[in-house]
Amino acid sequence: MILGIFYARFFPQEGPKIVAQSPPGCITASSSSSGNNNNSNNSNNSTHGNNNSSSSNNNSNSNSNNSPLVDFDVLQEYIIPRQAFCNRFISINSPDGKYTILGFPVVIPHTKYMRNEFIFNFGLLVDADCDQAPFESVVRCLAETFAEMEKQNEYLSLSEAKGPEDDSMRRPIESLLEIVKEDLNNYGECMIPVDEANIINMKLFPHHATPPVVKGWHVPVARTKFPEIVDPTWDITLQKVVAKIDGVSDVRRIAHEASVSLDLAKIAIRHLLYYDTILLLDIFFFSSCYAPRPGIHDFIRNVDGIVDECAGYVSHGRARVSNYLLIRFMASFSPGKSIKEWIMNHRDNGFELMSYIDIRRFVQFGVIKGCLYRVHKYVVSKQYLASLATGQSRPLAGGDPLQKYTDGCHHMDQIMTEQNLTNDQVMDRLKMLPVPRGDITVFYR
Amino acid sequence: MSCVNDENFLAVALVINRSRDGPAFVFHYPSHVPALTNGHEKSDIIDVEDILFEQIAPPSGAENGPEPAEDGGVRDDHYTTEAGVQVVPWEHVAGFPARDLAYILTPARPYHKKIFQLSLDPLLCISYPIHVPENGKWKKTKKANKEVDDNIAPDEPNPPPTSKIDSNPEKAKDGKRDESDEDKRSSMTMFNLVFFLHPKRHEAKELVDSLFSNIVKKVNKAYQYSQQHSEFVWKESKRILAAKEKAREDEKKMSALWKELIQNSSLAASMCEVYNAISQNRIATLHLDTVDGILTPSVQIPVPFFVADLPAEDDERHRGLWLTTSNAFLSQDALEEPGFLDRNFALLLMDDEKKIIAELQNDRDPTTLSMIEFVRLAKPTVSFYQVGQSNILTLDQVRKYAQHFIFWRRAIAIPPLHPRDVYIVSPNCDLERLPQDAQDWQRAFPLAPPLSTFLAELSVLPRPYKHISPSKAHRPLYLRMLAWLMRGGWVTQLCTFAYVVVWPEILYEVDYEMEAEELGIATSSVDGGDATSIHTTQENADAQSTHSSLASPTQPQHPPQPPQQQQQQTPPDAHALSQSPSSYGPKPSTTLSAAEHSAEMARLERIAIKAHREAADKATAHARKTSPVPTPNPSLNDAPHLAGLTPHIILDPKKAAGKESRYLAAIARRFRDDKLRSGWQLLCKYFDGRCALERIALQEDMKRKEAWALLTGMREYLLLTRHW
Repeated sequence: MILGIFYARFFPQEGPKIVAQSPPGCITASSSSSGNNNNSNNSNNSTHGNNNSSSSNNNSNSNSNNSPLVDFDVLQEYIIPRQAFCNRFISINSPDGKYTILGFPVVIPHTKYMRNEFIFNFGLLVDADCDQAPFESVVRCLAETFAEMEKQNEYLSLSEAKGPEDDSMRRPIESLLEIVKEDLNNYGECMIPVDEANIINMKLFPHHATPPVVKGWHVPVARTKFPEIVDPTWDITLQKVVAKIDGVSDVRRIAHEASVSLDLAKIAIRHLLYYDTILLLDIFFFSSCYAPRPGIHDFIRNVDGIVDECAGYVSHGRARVSNYLLIRFMASFSPGKSIKEWIMNHRDNGFELMSYIDIRRFVQFGVIKGCLYRVHKYVVSKQYLASLATGQSRPLAGGDPLQKYTDGCHHMDQIMTEQNLTNDQVMDRLKMLPVPRGDITVFYR
Repeated sequence: MSCVNDENFLAVALVINRSRDGPAFVFHYPSHVPALTNGHEKSDIIDVEDILFEQIAPPSGAENGPEPAEDGGVRDDHYTTEAGVQVVPWEHVAGFPARDLAYILTPARPYHKKIFQLSLDPLLCISYPIHVPENGKWKKTKKANKEVDDNIAPDEPNPPPTSKIDSNPEKAKDGKRDESDEDKRSSMTMFNLVFFLHPKRHEAKELVDSLFSNIVKKVNKAYQYSQQHSEFVWKESKRILAAKEKAREDEKKMSALWKELIQNSSLAASMCEVYNAISQNRIATLHLDTVDGILTPSVQIPVPFFVADLPAEDDERHRGLWLTTSNAFLSQDALEEPGFLDRNFALLLMDDEKKIIAELQNDRDPTTLSMIEFVRLAKPTVSFYQVGQSNILTLDQVRKYAQHFIFWRRAIAIPPLHPRDVYIVSPNCDLERLPQDAQDWQRAFPLAPPLSTFLAELSVLPRPYKHISPSKAHRPLYLRMLAWLMRGGWVTQLCTFAYVVVWPEILYEVDYEMEAEELGIATSSVDGGDATSIHTTQENADAQSTHSSLASPTQPQHPPQPPQQQQQQTPPDAHALSQSPSSYGPKPSTTLSAAEHSAEMARLERIAIKAHREAADKATAHARKTSPVPTPNPSLNDAPHLAGLTPHIILDPKKAAGKESRYLAAIARRFRDDKLRSGWQLLCKYFDGRCALERIALQEDMKRKEAWALLTGMREYLLLTRHW
């Protein structure tokens, strides 16, 4: 949210001044602002009786009594800084810590100007704790556009030198700033013709964190209804990949079924991850093991109706399972107990889980909501570990392809997807490795 | 927690402002801060137009010699430009002229003791500017000193005094005379220790927050303290500036000058220490050699030593940390409870005990003797409370030393290790360390099974740790091994958390009971109390059945009539029934006329009758209900009258009120065993899903066996879940 937008200039005689601002009075009190800029404002407003300027005029009347949000006297040395700091993006917090001023002071050296240079800054005033990244590009764009326009036809300097009557074709800067502010705040983008040749095109892009790398054994689960948003203009690979996302298939399988190379599929899925449209889970097996994590307590306490949500997601249609039972099922996972064993335990207690709930959905719900975590299986070779630690013996070149997985950093899902083997096949192959008896151990984490 | 390193933390710089001479850039460390290009990280937002723009608008301020980009600020020697201007290597910092930096980094008074955050893309400067008080004198009056003392290192639980004052009055006097002369010419109006950062976009906020509150603020405050007491910052700054001026004339190499300054000025040395320590995430210990004595404040960005939940897969920073909820689940109540922490935590040294003792022995301080004793006594298996019971150290000493070791990152506090507890391979352990740690393990415990075998043993089926050790004689060794694994974040305790389950049988019983009581109250108001307070369910049921048989004549088997009909019928009977006492409505006032009076009476009667009938209805309905029958196993009771009820979970027995407290009481009554019944009252409070049942014994000073026997007895009424 842009709280204020301003155009500041360095005047050879008076020093730094705010020439235009919106809303009026946000940086300097508009009534008290002195001679030069007051003049231009008033005359601008009076000559261009269009809607924008008249509304800004009203605003200025109502706002002129309000004190500015920041103290310009304190901040001016960061708005129009020493030359060494010009031509770069600068931001400064206000002393009270409430606001941040973002600006891009520009120096245009030329002999035609008094003191041989023209210094100006188009800046924004935003909340100190808002994400400033999207606004940085706005500031950069304003600086660059107006610098270019000043160089082309002295857009900025002329509007002050001559009276506004001479350039009645142009918008006054103040109303321009107001449109920029309003459009960006309301629509997140703006497209404003400044003169015959120049248009200000800007859009606020949210800044997302870099998503984690997608692996072949990840299972993407859609968070949005892709069929509703995909359109033919999308990247073809992405479309192919999206069509195969079903919440069960792992990336390797998706790539295979979509006839897309694995690397491209990973990139496509990472792209979806960047926009937070999918989640990554693990491959579901009845033989794998899940255990509660502290998030389980939110489930037990039914925070935000999570249990009811779960019931809707996992129930098999016949009858809704009671909240208590769902909680009991969820809480009874334990490290060292596979899903198969978990089902058997409940069967022994008289609950035929399979006929009430969809087990896969139930487990995935727990994982997504942070109630459960997957306990992965790892295979380690002591010999291989020792060789890694000392660096004496290198892993055998052209040796068994499974050896590199036995350093404890690769879980079984990875071995299986990368080698296209099943769990049993992997274990059988490992037994064939030419290592001493008892060298291979299996642990769970 | 943000990770500070020398990539995102570039330099520290001291800038001052003077009353007559204006701002000055005093010192910066490291000496060479290269100019940053608007490179890699930002490229995502710079489009073609930006690049165009950058080409056309080069900075024109070339008066200070070379373009920053030209030398990148990494020269060591002086040189003269063609125009005959001497270029001094330290007059460019991070690509900016130091003189300009001095101006822009000396903010006005409104920033006094506020965060000052200036980004000069791509550089980010943060600081905590300190201005001279309004009266123009740095020296504070005596009474204000104490407050500042507290400020200087508020959370430093360092038992040896933070500042050793060897007062040197003579020297101080000399200083004063010099000052007064100086002050006439120029004096320092503010100083500002600025931290130059270069954060990645996503880490900026976190980095600024942790650095500002832990380091920037504290170091500036420490400087302020030294300035207030002995004009330290101003005096040192003058010396440094003079030395730089002289070096400029002598064209001394920057590296030589910096070496000299760090040796001769404790202010410069302290900045060097701050940078070197903090950029490597160590503890910075400053030595400020003021005329009033040496000040030794220390600052650090606390490192997390545990995480409560599994970090994301790609979160490198938290990998390998100890996974536990023992800290995160502490409620405010628990923290306020005296002795809670002492009982629940023990000290785990992060280094070899012998090594730490050897280090302590090097120190001649008298407190070290008892600290050595503490290191010997405080085992990871012994809670602080138990250490305090040893009669060698007081509990206060134990707490103080424990805090000291934890502050200095030599130890962490963990729930005491116990062979009966269950330990599993931590899902957060750092497997990349496995080869190295396997080797270290073999060295530390040559006779033990290899690390990978041992981890496999722990992870296959979670069971009490003692089952893993081959015999009782091996226990102490196996506990040492466990401590080793804890230290490396390889294992974590698998704890059990419980909630109370109220089975339908109990729900029904309590509901039935409450209904009966309500009826009892209602009937007593109508026909003079045949319902007294009821003690047991059986009695209660009996009382109700007798009552309902008595009450039945008033409302025989007639089906309930529609209310309108009832109203029409009642008026004629009004007088006959008017004798019965009515508790509804105010008594009619005597000023009313007879007609009004009788009308009013009739109305009251109607209300009374209606209430009576409703009560009777309820009573019949109640009487028709099956009376509750306690079974030995309420969880298995599948009687038809319980079919519609699902078990209820009590989330926090401490806060249970109304019905829930009655459920708890009803459960208590089910225990045949007296011990269990009293145990239920005692242990109930732990069944809130936040207290690990394994720690109840410690907390209640019970034997473990006893506690577990009680819990096993209560098993039927508990919903259990297990995690770290």
